[in-house]
Amino acid sequence: MIPVTYRAGFSYLLRHPWQLALAMLGVGIGVAVIVAVDLANSSASKAFMLSMEKVAGEATHQVVGGPRGIKESVYTRLRVERGIRSIAPVVSGSVEAGDTVLSLLGVDLFAEQEIRKFTSQATELASGSGTSPQNVFRAFLTEPGTVTMSERTAAELGLQVGDSFTILAAGINQPATLLGVFEGDQGTLDNILITDIGTAQEWFGQTGWLSRIDARIAAGDTHALAQFEAALPDDVRILTASGRTQATAAMSQAFMTNLTAMSLLALLVGLFLIFNSVSFSVLQRREYIATLRALGVTRRQVFATILTEAAVLGVIASALGAVLGLWLGEQLLALVSRSINDLYFRVSVTEVTVNSLSIIKGFAAGVLAAIIAAALPAADATSYEPRLTMLRSSLERRAGRSVPYVAMAGLATIVIAVAILMLSERNLVAGLAAVFLLIVGFASGVPLVVRQVSTLLAPAANAVGGTILRMAVSGIAASLSRTAVAIVALAIAVSATIGVSVMVDSFRGSVQNWLEQTLRADIYAGVQRGAMQPELIDDISRISGVVEVSTSRRTSIEDSSGRTQLIAIRMSPDGYAGTELLDGTPDEVWAAWEREAVVLVSEPYAYRNRVAPGDTITLPTSTGDRPFTVAARYQSYDINASAVLMSRTNYDRYFDDDGVDTLGLYLAEGTNADNVIKQIKAMSEGRQRLRVDSNARIRDLSLEIFDQTFVITDVLYWLATGVAFIGILGAMLALQLERAREFALLRALGMTPVQIGSMITTQTGMIGFLSGLVAIPLGLVMAWVLIKVINRRAFGWQIDMSVAPEILVSALVFAVTASVLAAIYPAWRAAQSQPAIIMREE
Amino acid sequence: MRATIFASVSLCLLTLFAVADESAQSSRLSELLTDNTEAGFKRANAAREFLFPRDHGPHEGFRNEWWYITGNLDDDAGRRFGFELTIFRFSLTPGRPQAQSDWRTNQVYIAHLAVTDVEDERFYVAERFSRGALGLAGAQTEPFRVWIDNWEIASNGEGESWRIVAADTDIAVDLALTALKKPVLNGDAGLSRKSSNIDSASYYYSITRFQTAGTVSIAGRNYRVSGLSWLDREWSTSALAADQVGWDWFALQLSSGTDVMLYNLRKSDATVDANSSGTLTFADGRSTHLRVEDFNIRVNDTWDSPAGGTYPSSWRIHIPEQGLQLDVQPVLPNQELFTTVRYWEGAVDVSGEKNGVPIAGRGYVELTGYAD
Repeated sequence: MIPVTYRAGFSYLLRHPWQLALAMLGVGIGVAVIVAVDLANSSASKAFMLSMEKVAGEATHQVVGGPRGIKESVYTRLRVERGIRSIAPVVSGSVEAGDTVLSLLGVDLFAEQEIRKFTSQATELASGSGTSPQNVFRAFLTEPGTVTMSERTAAELGLQVGDSFTILAAGINQPATLLGVFEGDQGTLDNILITDIGTAQEWFGQTGWLSRIDARIAAGDTHALAQFEAALPDDVRILTASGRTQATAAMSQAFMTNLTAMSLLALLVGLFLIFNSVSFSVLQRREYIATLRALGVTRRQVFATILTEAAVLGVIASALGAVLGLWLGEQLLALVSRSINDLYFRVSVTEVTVNSLSIIKGFAAGVLAAIIAAALPAADATSYEPRLTMLRSSLERRAGRSVPYVAMAGLATIVIAVAILMLSERNLVAGLAAVFLLIVGFASGVPLVVRQVSTLLAPAANAVGGTILRMAVSGIAASLSRTAVAIVALAIAVSATIGVSVMVDSFRGSVQNWLEQTLRADIYAGVQRGAMQPELIDDISRISGVVEVSTSRRTSIEDSSGRTQLIAIRMSPDGYAGTELLDGTPDEVWAAWEREAVVLVSEPYAYRNRVAPGDTITLPTSTGDRPFTVAARYQSYDINASAVLMSRTNYDRYFDDDGVDTLGLYLAEGTNADNVIKQIKAMSEGRQRLRVDSNARIRDLSLEIFDQTFVITDVLYWLATGVAFIGILGAMLALQLERAREFALLRALGMTPVQIGSMITTQTGMIGFLSGLVAIPLGLVMAWVLIKVINRRAFGWQIDMSVAPEILVSALVFAVTASVLAAIYPAWRAAQSQPAIIMREE
Repeated sequence: MRATIFASVSLCLLTLFAVADESAQSSRLSELLTDNTEAGFKRANAAREFLFPRDHGPHEGFRNEWWYITGNLDDDAGRRFGFELTIFRFSLTPGRPQAQSDWRTNQVYIAHLAVTDVEDERFYVAERFSRGALGLAGAQTEPFRVWIDNWEIASNGEGESWRIVAADTDIAVDLALTALKKPVLNGDAGLSRKSSNIDSASYYYSITRFQTAGTVSIAGRNYRVSGLSWLDREWSTSALAADQVGWDWFALQLSSGTDVMLYNLRKSDATVDANSSGTLTFADGRSTHLRVEDFNIRVNDTWDSPAGGTYPSSWRIHIPEQGLQLDVQPVLPNQELFTTVRYWEGAVDVSGEKNGVPIAGRGYVELTGYAD
């Protein structure tokens, strides 16, 4: 008995390939997006971790110091006085070769054996007269600018062993020679340049200083660790290597969580699509199901048949989706790694690491979604009375009766969502869950609203557009069992559009305002890495027309609790107004800020570290850990927004670093900024490569970067929208198929094909319009949650919400356009139908 | 006088830079020395005036140099130990390179520490590498000091009291040395010829006898020890000829107060190079040079290294003019150093007779070029 019902079920689906294909596409795309995002995220993290681990080598700990690093005498002391052997000094940083950014690893080959092997490897050496391994070793140690790199990196840079090339380090061009290449271990050592520690110090202008000391201490050897700690001066700390890697990786975590949230949104839309498809398939088979029931098939069997059908559909679609996801993940990876590179750390990812967990996750989500989506219509089907089901009218009555209940359930869901939002405090995942519940809750109320509105509109429609328009409008309410799902799916897609757009737009607006306020100086000149040459600073300050100069230094300091961005500024009198304070009165705060041991913290820093004005934070200074009083919070949308702002006087007092990386130049009234920029460029030519820009240009560049960062958000949002469009198309097709007899009757009664077509198109357009209208409040709520809850929880940013009317209008236009487009094919088919044939079939 | 160890030094350097060119690593030591890197360095090719304590310090114009101390010690309970502490200095280029960074240098240091525990029949070895920069490793003249990490050989202003300190995971030595004899110049007034090539020579002196006392530590146990030590100092730019494969070197301290230094340079055709020689230093500090025809060394036994290679392991040495006949026997067969380059250097016992009168002694023997 059961096999027959199953076979009948599947043969039904096979006879409606469009419906089948759409349902599968919905699940497939949802799964693909989940798999792709997960793969891209995990590939980026894995590449980063592998690269960090590889570079850390056998090091279990890393000794770090202040902004400039550690004095090299500390290393000598550890080795010679304390006899600690398993340590290796490192001077590292980023350099550029042409357009490629590379990590430079400056090492002492004599110490490397204890920590790393790859630094002392070379599979291919500089060829030429008189070159032996000895000569290579000698050149590496005694000749400045000699480097090695992986074969792949050399190939990418177009370099042959023995070639000379130019490296840009700390803004200065340096001659380099490729001494040899090594294998590079599956890309984990790509874009890493290895050189002698002496060369690295000279290139970075860091003679006398080390970036860190790598150390290997046996697990659990607390004695060795204690001995180590005792030997270190106050401004130097020993941290675990894994902890440092994780602290760095954690910086990108919020970004990746946001991506995952977007992928879940795509699946959510896909879920409605399945719900849609299965519902229709059940509805269309009501007579068949009733017949089965009349023949003695139990409710349970009917339920099982439909669920199995959905599960099989889900498995096939999810499998296809996973395959699609692998491909999509590769495309996404480029975007993800670019965003990460722009925002957090340099990671060289070239290929997707196929992670079976990502695929399993996406697959399971797809199958589960299919089953859950089918459960409701399946339960509905079992409730059919064998005889009553035969009657069409009872169906609409039932659907009509359930609409208020669904809306009530939706309201309850909203209440739960709000409760989660309020209780979950800072948890990002809970925040995302609440967003989904809100969407589902709101969406559940949509059919009720649509019914009320279309009922109200029907008389008006009759007055305005006559019978056809009236039929179109009242048809919406009359066939809610078929249209509700389409309405809900469309409303979700449109509201997502509104929510994301308003969020990005508000964010952009806040950033723009902030940039305008912050960039007070007329011209900014600085180095991207390292410090500016002091003589160059003097020369620039003396250019005629320059009346005030502010300086800034951006560094990071590190202790066991993680890394803190530190910005040290010597303000010009005009500069204070550029920093928007969130607490206190500016006069008092700025006076306090110049005093000893007082700092400002950025808003994200305050949020993340739960710091309020008046609190004390501890920072690792050159004389050990010291408490600093937080005078106030300030607004910042900086990429590395979590930062501590310190006066230069304080910075000089607490840190052993006289470097400056950026100058802000204030020009006298009437001075031509372009002229000054030209002078600075001419002045720095051949000395140090500076980035010199007017404040307007920096503003434009910053916004450009902002927009780039949100390209990925756009991509995912279009995917979600695509799923919704397919949803409407599917709903309309199914509706048309089901109403074929009705249309045939109307044709027989004298309606022309054009009238039928326009009636269908009008009805669909109305559905789109109503969905769009309902989606507006839902979208605004979503935007609010995204801005005030998700963004804050993810990044700590405070963003002012602003709603641009054109976003709402274009969302509405999109809803109508998508619906009308989706109606064209069904309308054409209905218009083409031969009434006589269809009626004879009946 | 360890010419082959010089070759070892350059090999050690190569292994730091692990070049995948197998042939380079397995090539003959001598081939490695025939590259063009000698140009610009000072040469040991003429007589020079030795001045102490100045010459205890470094001679950076020469490509390579070493401070070699070996000794035989006993603790209060009669437990016997041997030790070796050697620090090699190596100039990568004739002059110091131009640099802003203190890390860039042409000076490289390598050190070997070995302790022989005769009673437990254990032999311990440790090795250090460093560049001669930032105080990580270096050598200075006044007061004399040469060090690498926390291993150090130092002496007082006059060069009579010395101290050596070195420690590794399992072993440590902390010894005070008092010179019982003045430095003795080997070869022709300190110019020690190594082959028929005029440039193939080194400057070579020894302090053949130090009264020694201090502590030897093994696996956390400290032994208060005393005994005799021997210092060899040598610097040069070129040492081995192309047809030389290795070296057998003897430093023997006899109960009569005489100290015997002999070396045989072995050639690839299994003959002994005519430039092999030796020095006898008598109890009163006078010394006499021994030419190759003045002594005879016969191998009585051999020892097979578990890692491959067969070393001579027992000798009869005959120095007819002195009426000396000495039997030399390792205190332990396995005193092979598994440093980046493999060689054998170990404590030995001496027995024999001088003009028919029984004589005893102790010493150190170095054997290179057998492990290839």
